[in-house]
Amino acid sequence: MTRDKRFFAGLVGVAAVVTWLVWTGITDTMVYYLTPVELIERVEASPALADQGVKVSGDVVPGSYRTSSDELLHTFEVADPDDPQVRITVHFRHPIPDTFNDEAEVVMEGRYLGDGVFEATEVLTKCGSRYEALPEEMYDVDDGDYGGGSG
Amino acid sequence: MIPQLGEFALWVALPIAIWGGVLAFLGGKWGRGDLVLSAERSVHAVFLLLAVASAGIIAAFVGDRFEYWYVANYSSRNLETYFKVSGLWAGQRGSLLFWALNLGFFSSLAVWLNRRRNRELMPYVSGVLLVILSFFIIITLFITPPFETLAFTPRDGRGLNPQLQNYWMTIHPPTLYLGFTAFAVPFAFAVAALLAGRLDARWLQVTRKWVLTSWFFLTLGIVFGMRWAYEELGWGGYWFWDPVENASLLPWIVATAFLHSVMIQESRGMLKVWNMALVSLTFILTIFATFLTRSGLIESVHSFALSLDIAYAFLGFMAVTTIVCLVLILWRLPLLKSDRMFESFLSRESAFLLNNLVLLGAGFAVLWGTMFPLLTEGLTGSKVSVGPPFFNQVNIPIGLILLALMGIGPVIAWRRASARNLRKNFLLPTAVGAGVGALLFALGVRHTYALLTFAIGTFVLAVIVIEFWKGTRARARIEGEGHPTAFLHLVRRNRRRWGGYIVHVGVVIMFMGFAGAAYDTEVRQALSPGESVSIASPFGHQYTLTYDGLSTARGQNMWQWIALMRVERDGVFLGTLTTERRLYEAPPQPMTEVGIRSTFTEDLYVILASLDEQVGMGTEPEHQRATFQVMVNPLVPWIWYGGLIIAVGTLIALWPGGPIPGHRPGAGVERGKKGREPEPGPERPSDPAADSDRPAGTPAGVS
Repeated sequence: MTRDKRFFAGLVGVAAVVTWLVWTGITDTMVYYLTPVELIERVEASPALADQGVKVSGDVVPGSYRTSSDELLHTFEVADPDDPQVRITVHFRHPIPDTFNDEAEVVMEGRYLGDGVFEATEVLTKCGSRYEALPEEMYDVDDGDYGGGSG
Repeated sequence: MIPQLGEFALWVALPIAIWGGVLAFLGGKWGRGDLVLSAERSVHAVFLLLAVASAGIIAAFVGDRFEYWYVANYSSRNLETYFKVSGLWAGQRGSLLFWALNLGFFSSLAVWLNRRRNRELMPYVSGVLLVILSFFIIITLFITPPFETLAFTPRDGRGLNPQLQNYWMTIHPPTLYLGFTAFAVPFAFAVAALLAGRLDARWLQVTRKWVLTSWFFLTLGIVFGMRWAYEELGWGGYWFWDPVENASLLPWIVATAFLHSVMIQESRGMLKVWNMALVSLTFILTIFATFLTRSGLIESVHSFALSLDIAYAFLGFMAVTTIVCLVLILWRLPLLKSDRMFESFLSRESAFLLNNLVLLGAGFAVLWGTMFPLLTEGLTGSKVSVGPPFFNQVNIPIGLILLALMGIGPVIAWRRASARNLRKNFLLPTAVGAGVGALLFALGVRHTYALLTFAIGTFVLAVIVIEFWKGTRARARIEGEGHPTAFLHLVRRNRRRWGGYIVHVGVVIMFMGFAGAAYDTEVRQALSPGESVSIASPFGHQYTLTYDGLSTARGQNMWQWIALMRVERDGVFLGTLTTERRLYEAPPQPMTEVGIRSTFTEDLYVILASLDEQVGMGTEPEHQRATFQVMVNPLVPWIWYGGLIIAVGTLIALWPGGPIPGHRPGAGVERGKKGREPEPGPERPSDPAADSDRPAGTPAGVS
């Protein structure tokens, strides 16, 4: 029976190591997922959060998107989905996703630099879903564009 | 005409599948061969009907039948024909039908292959397969109807997502689906063995090849997906720990664990409950992967629209499957008792068990990281997120442990390793690994994980090379053959063992490719024609890329802006490279096509990151200004080489006709020696799969 116990100990050991890895992994890398309103509130409450990475989602403000021709720099404004008056300005220095446009809903990871500027290290677009077509209503509405058809 | 026929076929398939399933279970229980035969014919019929239904969808796509919602949303007139064909699996509605079709194919194949064998299991095998088929046909018919028509016929469709208009995308999903669905067969055999109470070595033997088949397709599917991401998503990486990627990795991990632990059951008669649990878990995870992809419950680059109907249907199916498996295993627990106990930590059993535990640990970490945001939000209401840093931090150490076990497992002795066994088998490989590690350190490699990957990797390679060398040499001596012939015969005599080693070589090469990411470099620069950008590669090369200008081209359904770059390495002209941006017309979306110049050790990866706002306004140089991101990704090509080696190794292990381990009448007989018993004898562990408990230098099959 002692052998069984030893192997049980081995099993517990592996489980402990994995649990420890997962636990430290989560605590080291977990980031908060906030809206622009929450981001600004939180940073005001505890300025230390500014140094920590956060994930922010919101809607790109139409017409706010600019690119620089001297360096790889995309700037755009992102509005809070619930309170569109609250906006942050995003700087992004990597190739922007192909699905990005200035009506997209975006999820960004990066740091809040203060003064409403967010330095993003990653931008993902969330256009409903990327591989799914638009909602079915699209065709249920009999608009001129699709309506006439060969019927 | 064909689409209507397809829809009709799908409706007919459902009652046949359900009725066939009922007949199969009744036939098995009452021992009625006529009912069982009828059930098996139902399996073939369902497969044929699903094929007709799929042909109907393809015909609708190719024929531009936009009155179908699915076609209108995933195709357009100007789409290339082969992308129209791939429309079958491009979207939710088709892909679930496609899933059912693959499952139908494997079910039909399994029934046909076993038409004269394993008759005591086959009624239940057919029954389980028909139940799974029924589930998918019900989903297809009632939740995601691919043949649903619109009230009117649009003039043109909305087009296929440009990211799916890529050849890897035409083969990545089918390969993955083949892997997922092939696993239903071993699962069906496991359940059948439990139901019939026939828990001897038989079901394992049948199951093993099917698991390996599924594993083969899963591996290829995952690697194809990585390749697609690398070429098409245009951010220089191949794996993002995206929920859907993770979901495809989970069944792969558990299936890998099973492929190893099954050897312990074969040769030592242990871990029977464990193996049963692993088969069930893998199957449930293939369903989970489909659920995660199709329900849209978790945000992902792959996600399809959120569909709660599908989520509930899949959750329900998974819950029922889990409960059925648990009840069956508990019911048959007395028949699943181990033949013997573990004897020592330092034994192959322990190494394999540790491999299993660590693999499951990795699986758990991946699952936890994937579900964590959903769970936290559900429990605490606060939204958090974990991303690639989490998965890398957790899985790199676990991966390194697995890598080391890959070198230890094959050569450590069964039962109890002696100091002599350890010294003889591990001294030289350890020295090689340490030497390579020291050499790399001396060359300036300081990244801990990269160093460890190479040191442990070369240790594993050394173990495998020595094994091959010992076997070849011994065979050459005994049989008087030349070394190349002896090598080929060696592999042929025990394909599973040596094929497995080749798979290990592929995994090592692939891991080294992953480690290369530690030394990725990149520069970003805006260039006007004639200007150039330089980047140093970690191998000491200096690349200089000169921007020659932008040209515009018109594709079948898109516009292309193609930037031409002249590439020099260390001052020597290598050639030109193009990198482009595209604007698709249906759906209107831009697309980045990266330019990749691959050498044996590194990829030059050039992204046309953005075009100046004035592009297109004239042909002067100032109207062609563009911003580039240039990356050097060391060792990425090794990932693809590794994948290829894994595929070759798996095929060698799978190839039919060789001596079947544990059941090879001719293996020992032809040399006038006693054939092995299928069941391990009590005294000496019979291990046909991995023979290194024999005196070294004895080829497999000779004792």
